Amino acid sequence: MKATALTRSAVMAFYQARGFSAQAISPYADACVFSFELRNSTRKTLHLRLADWRAQTAAGTLRFRLPQSWEAEWARRGVAEPARIAFRWAQFQSELEFAPGDWIMGMAALERRPDGAFRLNIPYVIDGRHREITLDKLVCAALD
Amino acid sequence: MTAVAGAPAAPPLALPDIDGKVVDLASYRGRLVLVNFWATWCPPCRREFPSLSRLQKLFKPSELAVLAVNVGEDAETIFSFAGASEVTILLDRDSAAMRRWPVKGLPSTFVVDKRGKLALRAVGGREFDDAAIVAQLRGLLRV
Repeated sequence: MKATALTRSAVMAFYQARGFSAQAISPYADACVFSFELRNSTRKTLHLRLADWRAQTAAGTLRFRLPQSWEAEWARRGVAEPARIAFRWAQFQSELEFAPGDWIMGMAALERRPDGAFRLNIPYVIDGRHREITLDKLVCAALD
Repeated sequence: MTAVAGAPAAPPLALPDIDGKVVDLASYRGRLVLVNFWATWCPPCRREFPSLSRLQKLFKPSELAVLAVNVGEDAETIFSFAGASEVTILLDRDSAAMRRWPVKGLPSTFVVDKRGKLALRAVGGREFDDAAIVAQLRGLLRV
């Protein structure tokens, strides 16, 4: 698992090029957005859910805001369908089953911006056993 | 690629190609069909895309067809990336076709066997002319 913090300007540029207005995508770009890349290099299928991910910050635990929640916001704001399609499929999907050799990239945003570095715990199930990936010292990209 | 448990029937897929002509998966019965869901903004999709053309060249058209289903983009955007590709590009502008398939992310790829069943799947980028994948496809041709 690889995590890359995305700057506000990069997020804004990506979604504006896909049909979002600057105003519509701002709440997402202002959040702490990461691009995640996950590759299953084992010989077993693994399962994971974005809802289970936890960011351990100095001030407590944060979750990621799920794609379904963002999509409801885009519907309320009247974002055009092509932009919403691009958003939907650019996200790290909320529930995944990874066969051996599968790998995927996707963005996800924390429910709010933490102060300072945090540890991210990503539980998954493989071969009926519960395991966890830990990414330490993650930091949101600066709001530029 | 991974075998699809139970090999269910492939969902329907009938979409316009880049020239507006409707292409129906059902018309490919008797051939293998590799169905790839992609978008130009998706980095692994862009990376694997050339390998789809290389794969197509390794098989006779009567053996294998590659259908690259673009999700949510217009013909101009697609053409500026893909140009004159060896594969058949289909436009799923509203992602309605994609929602009928068991897609869990982009890119996602399925192989439909000669009887119209989902035989193989892959999530994320691949090099489709890789020897192991070519061998899997040749194996399916013999079934």
